[in-house]
Amino acid sequence: MRLGHRLRHRLARFGMSLLLLAFIAFLAFPIVWLTSTAFKPPGEIGLQNPALLPQQPTLDNFRVAVEENGVLRSAYNTLKISVLSAVLTLLVALPAAYLLARRRSRMNQAVTVWILVSQTFPLILIIVPLFLILSWLGLVNTHAGLVLVYVVWSLPFVLWMLQGYVRAIPVQLEEAAAVDGASPLDILARIILPLLLPGLIATGLYTFVNAWNEFFFALVMLKSPDLVTLQVSLARFRGIEGLARWGPLAAGSLIAIVPTLLVFALMQRRLVSGVLAGSVKE
Amino acid sequence: MSKGRLRFWVRLSVGLLAVAWWGLSLAQPNPQPIKLRFVSLAWQTDAIKAVKEVVAEWNSRNPQIQVEYQQVDWGSIQDYLTTSFQAKNVPDVFHYESNPVMDFGNRGFLLDLAPLIPAEMKQDILPGAWKTVTDAKGAVYGVPFLVEPLVVLYNRKLFVEAKVSLPRADDVWTWEDLRRVAKALTKDTNNDGRPEVYGCAIPLRNAGNRILNLSVGFGGDYFARSGNSYSVKVGNEEKQLLSTILAMLYEDKSCTTEALTLGSAEVIPGFLAGKYAMMPGVGAFVRQQIVEKAPKDFQWGVLPPLKARTQEQGSVSQTLSIPKDSKYPREAMQFIAFALNRANMAKLAAGDWLIPTRASSTKLPPFNTSANGWRTSVEAAKYLTFPLWQQVNGVSEFRSRVLNPKLQLLFANRLSLEDFAKQVEAEGNEIIKKFYP
Repeated sequence: MRLGHRLRHRLARFGMSLLLLAFIAFLAFPIVWLTSTAFKPPGEIGLQNPALLPQQPTLDNFRVAVEENGVLRSAYNTLKISVLSAVLTLLVALPAAYLLARRRSRMNQAVTVWILVSQTFPLILIIVPLFLILSWLGLVNTHAGLVLVYVVWSLPFVLWMLQGYVRAIPVQLEEAAAVDGASPLDILARIILPLLLPGLIATGLYTFVNAWNEFFFALVMLKSPDLVTLQVSLARFRGIEGLARWGPLAAGSLIAIVPTLLVFALMQRRLVSGVLAGSVKE
Repeated sequence: MSKGRLRFWVRLSVGLLAVAWWGLSLAQPNPQPIKLRFVSLAWQTDAIKAVKEVVAEWNSRNPQIQVEYQQVDWGSIQDYLTTSFQAKNVPDVFHYESNPVMDFGNRGFLLDLAPLIPAEMKQDILPGAWKTVTDAKGAVYGVPFLVEPLVVLYNRKLFVEAKVSLPRADDVWTWEDLRRVAKALTKDTNNDGRPEVYGCAIPLRNAGNRILNLSVGFGGDYFARSGNSYSVKVGNEEKQLLSTILAMLYEDKSCTTEALTLGSAEVIPGFLAGKYAMMPGVGAFVRQQIVEKAPKDFQWGVLPPLKARTQEQGSVSQTLSIPKDSKYPREAMQFIAFALNRANMAKLAAGDWLIPTRASSTKLPPFNTSANGWRTSVEAAKYLTFPLWQQVNGVSEFRSRVLNPKLQLLFANRLSLEDFAKQVEAEGNEIIKKFYP
């Protein structure tokens, strides 16, 4: 009887593992295909029944992506812009979120409504006035201008998310620290920040990925070839009528996803705990 | 020395110094060169190389007018230009196609190039190409430099196997001939009702442009003009091409239904695999994809445009234009004149696998050779005309909201030809009348 139960348990675990494996294969397939295409010569990409693995692997697509389209340069630009956007957004959002979460006033409601309303504006509506303002500030065709746009664009949602994380931290902890003589800055630095770390990572990653993937602002704002971001650079491989230079596009895309994959791999645990922490309110 | 004399010498020295400084400043070159921003849509390897070479040559010859090359993709150019015009931060020269360029021109965003175009350029470029960028008042909103005829690609080996002889130059195929040949080429060796080889594959995803341009040969305009306004018309002339395609798809079954949801790019692998013997009505630039992707032993060729009532096809042209807000319109036009001179236009066209609009450029290689279907493609370009639909405001909205979806239903056999005509006229006119109140 016990043996039967154990066997059933093992079989169930085996079945679950198989299902998980199939799910992982399903999720990983686009990346496998992308990698395979990146190493294929044009003749193999255009086949009626293309093979999963390249028959005559080539690095030519990477050469075209890097030398002709400057993908490495644009990857560096994108990394710089994304990191700066994430850091600046958090620097602005953290104190604001703390105040909104801890100080209850009528302003809170107004700010919350503003946050929600700001998320409903279509991008295309604001691009022209935004462009004019940045032009007036002399920030068109600069990375600083684009970072400013991304910070402003991500700020409402990050503020919204961070509020939830701050509220999840018991206020009694701060009161205890205050009784022990800690200053407000000490409380923020020594009590709140360590507890808020998963939330900061989750919101930071959100901003980072938003900036990393953003295309339209970057297309319109950056004119000099040396300044363009990765998404704009990759779009240049697209042609007309559904045609594209698939090999270099795959090679460039592979270069593009490596940093995000690495960041997620390194931050995965903290990100998951951060997302969960933010989802529960006291 | 007396005070008076001293004053005289001082004044003279100061005067001479001032004159010398002024003279020197005139003689010195302006240290800040003019910067022109040139937005190009070239995306194929050879085309990008050609554009870069032209820009580099200009920059080395003109140190005081430096051109900065910016590549934008076809999918983003409309949004890019719209925001640039609205924000008045424009490129000095941009590459696009005649239909949207005329729209931008009519809305006042572009410079009328008519007074700036060199006489030699004006004469050399085909008159039909100029028509695509000239409005009713004679304003020219771009210099047309590339045109794209729609050609028929064929698999030489399958033609030999089916003993199909090629059309002669003086006796080209009609659409009925195409239908007959496609039937002869279709092979269902195991009789399961699903041919292993189809006579043809016509890419019919978003087929609006293709159908509008090919219908011109049947006398089908899809629009009727009345005074200064237009209305949508789907009469017998417009229905002829559609009924021929439907017959090939569902009566003869010589044309694959697999291509109903495919663009040119997705049909190419089947063509290269010998699954489709012909690809009718595809752009001449598709030849580049064939050359790049075909196996070494793949034999193919290009047939002349099919004849309906005539061999005429509607066409747009690719253009270079100057925005009204450009700070340096004169210099921008100088650059256009250089970039589109005889040799450079040939270089740009060859890179894009399209046909140059200058008659003199087509006499240069590779256009005057028979390799890769160049000569047939150049000959096909002679039948390109400026179709009526390009003059109609709101045609883009009509195409995307009405014509493309209805064509999809028609070719999927979910809408009769009569219902298609009624619905396209009714729904199309709802859109078009907004533009002609």
